[in-house]
Amino acid sequence: MPLLELKDVSLDYGPIRAVDRASISVEPGEVVAIIGGNGAGKSTLLKGVSGLLTPSEGSILFDGQDISRLPPHQRVARGIAMSPEGRQVFPDQTVHDNLVLGAYARGLSDKALTAAIDEQFDLFPRLRERRDQPAVTLSGGEQQMLAMARALMASPRLLLLDEPSLGLAPLIVRDIFQIIRSLRERQITILLVEQMATMALKAAHRAYVLETGRITLTGTGAELLNDPKVRAAYLGVAHDAA
Amino acid sequence: MSATYLQALLSGLSVGGIYALIALSFSITFTTTKTLNFSQGEFVSFGAFVGLSVLLLLSGTFDFNAVPADASAGLKFPAAVVTAGVLVGVVGIFIFLLAVRPFAGKPGMSWVMSTIGFGIILQSLGLVVWGPAVVNVPAPFGEGVIRIFGAGVRSQELVVLVSAIVIMLVFDQIMRRSLLGKAMRAVAFSPQVASLMGINVTLVMVGAFVMSGVLAGFAGVMVAPISTASLFMGLGFSLKAFAGAIIGGLNNPRGCIFGGFMLGVIESFVGLWHSEWREISVFVLIILVLAVRPDGLFGARTVDKV
Ligand SMILES: Nc1ncnc2c1ncn2[C@@H]1O[C@H](COP(=O)(O)OP(=O)(O)OP(=O)(O)O)[C@@H](O)[C@H]1O
Ligand SMILES: [Mg+2]
Repeated sequence: MPLLELKDVSLDYGPIRAVDRASISVEPGEVVAIIGGNGAGKSTLLKGVSGLLTPSEGSILFDGQDISRLPPHQRVARGIAMSPEGRQVFPDQTVHDNLVLGAYARGLSDKALTAAIDEQFDLFPRLRERRDQPAVTLSGGEQQMLAMARALMASPRLLLLDEPSLGLAPLIVRDIFQIIRSLRERQITILLVEQMATMALKAAHRAYVLETGRITLTGTGAELLNDPKVRAAYLGVAHDAA
Repeated sequence: MSATYLQALLSGLSVGGIYALIALSFSITFTTTKTLNFSQGEFVSFGAFVGLSVLLLLSGTFDFNAVPADASAGLKFPAAVVTAGVLVGVVGIFIFLLAVRPFAGKPGMSWVMSTIGFGIILQSLGLVVWGPAVVNVPAPFGEGVIRIFGAGVRSQELVVLVSAIVIMLVFDQIMRRSLLGKAMRAVAFSPQVASLMGINVTLVMVGAFVMSGVLAGFAGVMVAPISTASLFMGLGFSLKAFAGAIIGGLNNPRGCIFGGFMLGVIESFVGLWHSEWREISVFVLIILVLAVRPDGLFGARTVDKV
């Protein structure tokens, strides 16, 4: 049974339909990427999964149960955590306190909380050095790491990553994808949204292409990397060069 | 001569402490829900009368025209303070559910009318129960004047000052150290991102309105022995407190506290010179501050690095 299943899900902003009858599934332990251009509806789709938007049609199943109408905090309690687009770390709170908030739903003892934070510091050593700095003083790459670490603090069964590479220098992007690969090795289930299609397809088991709100193509990461249409549209490679 | 100034300073700090408490109560709900509770003044009056009622009941009477001189003695005053804090805190739940939640975060400013309306209802109910009288409330430590370096201060002024400082220190620590405080700051930044942490945002907002109500109710009882109690007393205090919050920065609790104290002291010193200039000076000050710093002295983008 898939861990996450979207069945013909439509998501609207008032009269504007941003996602139109999308169906996707994510198996336990899988890394699934969603690629697509600006305004394709990628972030909207993730908002539907995390509960920031309620679908106007279709259903979202998590572990076989319909969570379409649950508010975000109850979805976190069930094991869905998100690193949102643009990082959205709590700017006036320290790195440490951001991580504490990430584990809000778990009700950990002080000892367990310290251990969980240490675990994140092992994965993101640069955050350890910045432990007591307000998040606003971090660089963009560090903020992205904090956003991911904060989501991992929930010990999620499904991790949603919205454009972790956004606005970062190529070297930092490589670091971020290195971490995504290490999460993949640890069997963490990830739904990843990216414009950096090559990187995302290489990191993912499977992927979907989203175009103006509709899923138009799906396949394994390798299949899509070699698909002429994908190469032309998203990988910056012309048809004849393929 | 300097005793006069010291006296003005202490009285200013004392009433400033009240302004600071109410300013903080504005700030807590503003940061978490981005709405202003325009019935905060009625909350203050309501708190004073709940407290007064407790004092009278514990003294075995309910006659507002003949408040016994020892009505605030012993544990009666603390009992009045606690009851007022709790009841006004509960009123905070109601205003959130009935007048704020339906409109918060939506386009438009319906919450302006709905919170004003809630205040009018609260005041009308108060008038039915307690009437329009202005009541002298005895101070728990009596009306005697205490001498500090020659300056004469009323006992209640010191009680107000000390308790306001203690409450604000406790509040500050809660906001910085407790998980609830961190969650409230997270909601203040963005309710949506906070909800992604698993925070029940509605519950945090209810909590903010409860805290805000407790502070307003507390301020009402504490100030009543200094100012006398009436159902109309809250408006003046809340306007000044709001001014203090604007000066300090509505979205910065520490700034609001500073603004409240500052306003009290300035008012008190201007009063030494020409009392009719008090109100004018306060509002000239606000305009000046806002002209230079539209978000208040410590507002908006000043990041707190403590
Ligand atoms: N809050 C909103 N209100 C109204 N329309 C919105 C809102 N957010 C997004 N949209 C619209 O919905 C569509 C999909 O937006 P979405 O943010 O999901 O795209 P995206 O694929 O994440 O794009 P990007 O790669 O630029 O982040 C766009 O047309 C966008 O203009
Ligand atoms: Mg997006």
